[in-house]
Amino acid sequence: MSLLAELQRSFCDGLRTADAPDGALLEMLQDDDLARQRFQVYRNNFIVLNGDALADMFPVVKRLVGDEAFRMLATAYVRQHPPRDRTLLLYGDLFADFLQTIPELSGLPYLTDVARLEFTWTAAYHAADAFPLQPDQLQNLSEEAFAKLQLRVHPSLQLLASDFPIHRIWSVNQSDDQDELISLDEGACRLIVVRPDNEVQVRVVSEGEFEFVRQLMASATIGEAFEATNQTDPQFDLGQFFSRHLFDGTFCAM
Amino acid sequence: METMQASGRAPAPVPIRAGAGLKPQHYQSVIEDQPDIGWFEIHPENYMGKGGPPLRYLEKIRQDYPISLHSVGTSLGSHLPLDREHLQQLKSLVDRFEPGLVSEHLSWSHGYEWYTHDLMPLVYTEESLQVMVEHIEQVQEYLQRQILIENPSSYLQFKASEMPEQVFYVEAAKRSGAGLLVDVNNVFVSCTNHGWNIDDYLSEIPIELIGEIHLSGHSVQQVEGRTLRIDDHGSPVCSEVWSLYQAFISQFGLAPTLIEWDSNIPEFPQLLEEVSSAQSLIDAVAETEVRNVVTG
Repeated sequence: MSLLAELQRSFCDGLRTADAPDGALLEMLQDDDLARQRFQVYRNNFIVLNGDALADMFPVVKRLVGDEAFRMLATAYVRQHPPRDRTLLLYGDLFADFLQTIPELSGLPYLTDVARLEFTWTAAYHAADAFPLQPDQLQNLSEEAFAKLQLRVHPSLQLLASDFPIHRIWSVNQSDDQDELISLDEGACRLIVVRPDNEVQVRVVSEGEFEFVRQLMASATIGEAFEATNQTDPQFDLGQFFSRHLFDGTFCAM
Repeated sequence: METMQASGRAPAPVPIRAGAGLKPQHYQSVIEDQPDIGWFEIHPENYMGKGGPPLRYLEKIRQDYPISLHSVGTSLGSHLPLDREHLQQLKSLVDRFEPGLVSEHLSWSHGYEWYTHDLMPLVYTEESLQVMVEHIEQVQEYLQRQILIENPSSYLQFKASEMPEQVFYVEAAKRSGAGLLVDVNNVFVSCTNHGWNIDDYLSEIPIELIGEIHLSGHSVQQVEGRTLRIDDHGSPVCSEVWSLYQAFISQFGLAPTLIEWDSNIPEFPQLLEEVSSAQSLIDAVAETEVRNVVTG
C-alpha cells in the first residue's frame, strides 16, 4: 500500500474510534508534545460537523432527549454510521433505526417514529420537483376511463404510520416556547408528507386516505385502489378526497 | 418547477469585489433587499438534492448576482479515485448556474468508503502531489474549465512530508494548470499553528495564479499552555487577518474576495458589514493603483 493510502486509512481509523488514536498514527505526526491534541482537533471537527448535520435534521428529537443526550447519541451514530454520501443533505437515514437500539431510550417509545418523521420531512424538502396534475388533463373522461387511470403521486410524497401521536408531538415541539402536554393515549396516527411546491406539508389523514394513496403508489388504478380501500375503511369518501387533493399537487402531471 | 433561463441573468464573471458565502438563513434577505454585494459563493454539495427550495432560491439569486461554486466534496487529495457521480452532479450545477469561478481544496475527505465531510490534511510528498495534480486535471477536463485550489488551514504536520506546504500548493497548481484561491485566514492559522514564517509562505505565491481570496474568522484555543487557532468560520475576521489581507492585496494586487461565515451564522446585516469592510480595503488599493497609473 502507498504511503498516502496507509496514512489516510490510519487517519480515518483514528477519526472514527472512540478510543485513543493508535500509536502508529501518532508516530506519523511531527511531535512537539502536542501531536495527540493536534490530531484531536480533526477528530472533534469530524464528530461535531457531522453531529451538527444530525442536529439540523432532527431538531425535535434533540428537544425531546435534551442537548447533552443528543450530542452523545449523535457522536455514537457518526462513529457507527459515518457519512456514505458526498453531501450531508440526507445524512441520518439510519438514525431512527439506531435510536431503537439504544436501551436507555426505551422510556420514549415514540422517539423512533418522530425521527422518521423528521427525516421524511427533509427527504421531501430535497425531493425532485414536478408539475401538479391539471384539470384539463382529465377533461372529457368517462367515469369508466377515470376509474382505469393510474395516478402518479408527487415524487416527494411519503406515507408514515405510527402507533403514537407523533404528529402532535412533532408540531408541539417545533419551538422551544411550547410546553403543552400530550397524552400517548391519543394513539396512532397516519401521515402523508408531501411538498407539492415550496412548502413541505405534513397531513394527518384517515385510515382510508392513507390506504387509498398507498394503493395508488403500488400502481393500482383509481378503481382498484378505491375497492381495496373500501375493504379497510368503508367510510372513505373518494369524492371528498379528490375535491381536496386531486389538483393540489399531491398528484403530478401525466 | 422553473425552467432554466439563460438570458436575463447577471453576467457570469465574478467581479473584483467583495462577496459573501450564501447561507439558507439569508435567502429571503438577499432576494427581498438585493444588497449591493459583488457576488455570492455556494458549496455545490448543498445543492445536490434532486429538487426543492434550495435550487429555486439559487435560481432566483443567480438572476441578480454572479456566483462561485466552492466545492468541499471532491476529495482531490485522496488515494481513492474521484467519484464519477459527484463529478456529474458538479457538472450539472456548473451547466445550470454558469458560475464565474469553481474551486476546491488542497485536502482530502475520502479515506475509506465513507466521507469525513471535513477537510483533512495532506502529507506533502511527491506521491501526494502526483495524485493531487492528476485529480485536478480530471476535474478540469470533466468540467471543461479551470478550477482554483484553496490552501488549507492545518493543525498538524506529517513526518513524511518532503516539502513545505506552500511549495506543494503552488506546484500542484502549476503542474495542473489550476489557479489559486488564497485563503488569507488559513495562511495565518496554519503559519501560527506551525510556527511558519508568513512572508516565506506568501513569497512562493505567483501573482498571476491568484484567482480569488477568502477571509473568515477563526477561534483560539489554549492547549497545554500553547495556542492553537481553529478555522471554524464562526466569527468576524480578526484584526491580524485584516492587516494581512490589506498587505496581501497591496503587494499581490486585487482579486474577488469572499467573506466566509459558516457556523454561528449572524443576522444578514452583520455579514454585510464584514463584506463592506473588505470592499473598503479593495477600493483603497484600487484608488492607489489608479493614482499610480495617472502619476506614472
